[in-house]
Amino acid sequence: MDFYKFLLSRILTFILVVFIGITAVFFVPRFLPSDPVEAMIGQMTSKSAFLDPKAVETLRETLNESFGLQGSVLSQYLGFFKRVLLTQDFGPSLANYPAPVNELIGRALPWTMGLLLTSTVISWLIGNAIGLLAGFRKEKPYSKALEAISIALYPIPYYIFALVLIMLFSYIFPVFPLTATFQGAGFTWEHIRSLIINSTLPALSMILVGTGWWVISMKTISSGIAEEDYVHFARLKGVKERKIMSRYVLPNAALPQVTMLALQLGAIFNGALVTEILFGYPGVGTLIYNSILQADYNLIMGTITLSIIAVAGATFVVDFLYPFLDPRVRYK
Amino acid sequence: MRDKAWIVCYLMAIFVLLTACTDSGATQPPAASGGNQEASGSGKMTDVGTPRSETLIVDILSGRSPDPDRMNPYMPGAVAMDSGLHQLIYASMWEIDTVKGEQIPDLAATMPEPLDDTNTKFRFKIQEGLAWSDGVEFTADDVQYTADMLLKTKEIGYSGYFSSLVKSMKAVDKTTIEVETVQPETRLAQKLGVVIWGTSFRVMPKHIWEKEDPTQFKFTDPVGVGPYKLSKRDPQGNWFLYEKREDWQKSDVGKLVGEPGPRYVLFKYFGPEEKRIVAAIQHDMDILQDITPESWEVLRQKNEYAKAWYENFPYADMNDPCERGMSFNASKAPYDNEDVRWALTLLTDIKNVSMATFGGMLRVSPIILPPISVLQETYHKPMKDWLKEFQLSDGYKPFEDTYAKDMVDMLKQQGIKGLPTDSAEMENTFGVGWFKYDPEEATKLLEKAGFKKEGDKWLLPDGSPWKLTINAPANFEVQSMRLAFAVADSWRKNGIDVNVQQMDAATFWDSESTGNFEVGSYWPACGLLPDSTANLQGWNKEYIVPNGQQAPGNRNRWANDRVSGLLEGLNAMEPSDPKVIADITEINKEMVKGMPFIPMFGTSKFVPVDTYYWQGFQNAENEFEGPWWWWSQFKFYTPNYKPSGN
Amino acid sequence: MKNWNFRLKAGVAILALFLILGMIFPFFYTGNPIEWGTYPKNLKPSADHWFGTTNLGQDTFWLLAKSLQNSFVIGLLVAFFATVIGALLGLIAGFKGGFIDRLITLMTDSFIVIPSLPILILLGTMLKGRASLLYIAVVLIVFNWPWPARQLRAMALSLRERDFINTAVFSGSGTFKIIVKEIFPFVAGWSLANFVNTILVAIGSESGLAVIGMSSNEKATLGTMIYWANQHQAMLAGRWWWIGSPVIAIALIFIALFLTMTGYQQYSALRRGK
Repeated sequence: MDFYKFLLSRILTFILVVFIGITAVFFVPRFLPSDPVEAMIGQMTSKSAFLDPKAVETLRETLNESFGLQGSVLSQYLGFFKRVLLTQDFGPSLANYPAPVNELIGRALPWTMGLLLTSTVISWLIGNAIGLLAGFRKEKPYSKALEAISIALYPIPYYIFALVLIMLFSYIFPVFPLTATFQGAGFTWEHIRSLIINSTLPALSMILVGTGWWVISMKTISSGIAEEDYVHFARLKGVKERKIMSRYVLPNAALPQVTMLALQLGAIFNGALVTEILFGYPGVGTLIYNSILQADYNLIMGTITLSIIAVAGATFVVDFLYPFLDPRVRYK
Repeated sequence: MRDKAWIVCYLMAIFVLLTACTDSGATQPPAASGGNQEASGSGKMTDVGTPRSETLIVDILSGRSPDPDRMNPYMPGAVAMDSGLHQLIYASMWEIDTVKGEQIPDLAATMPEPLDDTNTKFRFKIQEGLAWSDGVEFTADDVQYTADMLLKTKEIGYSGYFSSLVKSMKAVDKTTIEVETVQPETRLAQKLGVVIWGTSFRVMPKHIWEKEDPTQFKFTDPVGVGPYKLSKRDPQGNWFLYEKREDWQKSDVGKLVGEPGPRYVLFKYFGPEEKRIVAAIQHDMDILQDITPESWEVLRQKNEYAKAWYENFPYADMNDPCERGMSFNASKAPYDNEDVRWALTLLTDIKNVSMATFGGMLRVSPIILPPISVLQETYHKPMKDWLKEFQLSDGYKPFEDTYAKDMVDMLKQQGIKGLPTDSAEMENTFGVGWFKYDPEEATKLLEKAGFKKEGDKWLLPDGSPWKLTINAPANFEVQSMRLAFAVADSWRKNGIDVNVQQMDAATFWDSESTGNFEVGSYWPACGLLPDSTANLQGWNKEYIVPNGQQAPGNRNRWANDRVSGLLEGLNAMEPSDPKVIADITEINKEMVKGMPFIPMFGTSKFVPVDTYYWQGFQNAENEFEGPWWWWSQFKFYTPNYKPSGN
Repeated sequence: MKNWNFRLKAGVAILALFLILGMIFPFFYTGNPIEWGTYPKNLKPSADHWFGTTNLGQDTFWLLAKSLQNSFVIGLLVAFFATVIGALLGLIAGFKGGFIDRLITLMTDSFIVIPSLPILILLGTMLKGRASLLYIAVVLIVFNWPWPARQLRAMALSLRERDFINTAVFSGSGTFKIIVKEIFPFVAGWSLANFVNTILVAIGSESGLAVIGMSSNEKATLGTMIYWANQHQAMLAGRWWWIGSPVIAIALIFIALFLTMTGYQQYSALRRGK
């Protein structure tokens, strides 16, 4: 009975959170003192293309009409929910009119997923392993060295770090290509090979910088647990260190880390803007960024709604899994 | 002890990381193999599989294309036209010769000739013997089809303007077009052809388009009359590879100029500036779009084959058709007072601003038209005498013509070599002169306007501290952005609390059009032809709207009856009328008096080339055109480019 | 001091060095370190200019000192308030359960799901560039408290089921007292780690904001220093003293904080005799 009540309340929270988030993201860009048509005209001005004032006027009228921006904000809001709920269609991108938002996201998402899933999970695994060693086996030289490296890399601003990697491995020692050019398509060796070659550096940069936080948090948690009474009893009982680590410390310490991992996995849908820009890697990050710069309402809504649902979904799953992972917690 | 060891290791590692990349260039072999693979046979191959020696690689100014399959130029979502599409494939009726400052025929063979004296009916011929890149003959029917399509399809953004201009465009025979306009027109070729960058009126092939819905058609395999065709594209939108047409003789450039040099042209986006520079150092890019002067310094030192416009200082090309400066919203107090605008002009230490912005590699302009060679001869130099005698309301003469000489002296002291020596050349390079840096006179003007100085801070007439915000572009327009910071620095030193607000593109432009700014680093000052009537149109007071509404023109909201009257008169004059230059000169004088925009510098473009694989590029000594790699006239350059043999 | 381990000593020493550099040194400089064209450009480090000069004609050392000051203020403010607000709300939610829990969870979750970038741009535009450093700090607090809140709620959920908490509850202690006295010590380590991390996040986000034009690029912070150095290609041009100083400063500050934190943990464990 408790379980169903819990489930119901969590689902309700999920819906509420998504609703609040989407509403905020719908209204926020519309308070911005900018609009997609003006952004487009501005882009032409930037290139010093000449625009007659009359041309500006007619262009604005035509585009406002095709973009569906004439109604009041409220009616646009209702229209948005109606369209998205009924057809799961975010409409056309305004800056890339008439390319459908769904299609643009569909193009970018696989790249983002591939890169971020891998690098997030790998840095989580490595980071926690190092953190566990650093917390539980403080005195071993190897755990110190590993800890030192990951802590030292972590605070370097990512932009600089990635740039240094590029300079090192694409310029001074040209091991990896400077720009990503993907050869072939589908499940051919040529395609997979070029995927690996071109993704190694971006993934590496994210993993190296990403591990630091997991090391720090895992270390603090596990060194706290290592001082708990049950660990001492286990030791007195003569349980092997390795077993203490894997049976007693790890399960307890892993719990908060799993929560954070789930949230990070949800946040994948925000993409990795700096990585994408620096490495010329396709993905959702640049899509979101450009949509904001160009006040492309539909694309903003499309990308961010996806991200909101993903993060909210992740929190939902975490709450749900918690009692399985930690038997001390009941559904409440 | 181990703890100490790792800190030391870390410090060393960070030091090595930071310095390694900086000292590397010198040891770099000239033909580093960057992202390229060695071909099985002899020469180097590009990463798209073409021989490097036959491929010209060009930087893409607009970045990555989110949807590389859309090439319908009439839809905003198309691949950016300057990713090679309008440079190599699409063609327009008339192109521009920026050196002479006049339009030249492209697809049209003649300029439009009026059929009667109503100025509403025109006739022109189109080129014979041209063909679309799929082999079908190009005829007047294609032009008529494009015009009809635009008139009919209201959903196309350009349609509204086109219908307000053209009533009908008819193919009389295979090579003759007759146009009827809605209003009397004196400058039809300027409105339908290219003046700056490109034009929206691009002729589309009737035999392909008539089967499609122009609002939905992607035009994935673009077909044009230009000398190249699209051969391959990156599904991620980072590059587009173009190949020379086998029947290039039947393309516009083939007929008008000759055979394009490069067999392949690769337009490619390399990412942030650091990477573009590295690519150019490694000879992986032949033509660079806008870079900063600092990047140019690096490139110049690390790649001896890299060439900018001038062989020596100031390197940059300065003939870009827009000039930069500080734009006022003349409807907002206290900037509605021309004394205040003039005071701010005199508080601008222009030489230091020039140094801080682009290290002195800038040409000044005291008037609203950009200081490009053609216009300098037509306006700047002839107006010098008037400028020298020009007085403010209190009789003060603000102009001084010593800027060029002072700059040369200042730069000489900094050890810069190869500066111009005779005064005419100095003036051609650094401009005709600017206004004095005179805080004392500025103080007089401000006190006259009711401002008070308390300590070293200025107070507004109502007694509150004078705070001023300059809108500046975020990172998308480096010269205007830096100019804003440099000017702010100059004004701040004179007791004004200046703040620079950097804005992303959409917000920046929206603020200008809705009047949501006091002072902005905008550039409502462009021009290329001596007849710059079209560019000045926006200053007509009829376009002024209240703050808060979007203005189609006159975003400075500066109402001047004389300027508006002159502009209307100009519209009715033929471009060849000698009165055109005289009237535009008068407009320039009114603008100097009112100062709604403080003109400062022409745009200095660092758009260098790498001469390792290709030669024949235009530069100051070989000026057959300007270095406008992102303009549609690019196709006309290609016959000049020849392989260097590397 | 005498029982301090090496980590604690090193951490505190480096931190003290930077604090002196950031908080005291700026008062010894009479001019305005961010003003352009004060000195010749691009001088290498020398006796006159310890860290050289920038391409904008500023003295890198004094600029760094001023930047440290501003960045410290932002970092500490954000880290402190975000951690305290997050910890309190998270622990209350986890411990009390019921309606309060649901309300707080709804709030944290809503904040977590909304990506911050568009909101930050909006706030930046509304303020029209008069963004004071305090304002930036407040914005960063708003976006940084929900994470610790969520995390600590989870921890509190687990702790709530333990015996000693039940004992405390039955003995009639007030909620707030239990949270502070009984629960907080168990999450203090994590909170401290989060605090240290948030300092870094705040300094990092500030530099991110600088790039999108929301921070004021005329104010000296470590972020804007990196921004200007990048703008002028300091890295490619080999001006390592310019780009290097803020980067190394950020890294060292973080390492110092980390050393202090872990050193303190060892130290207190030792004192507790474990």
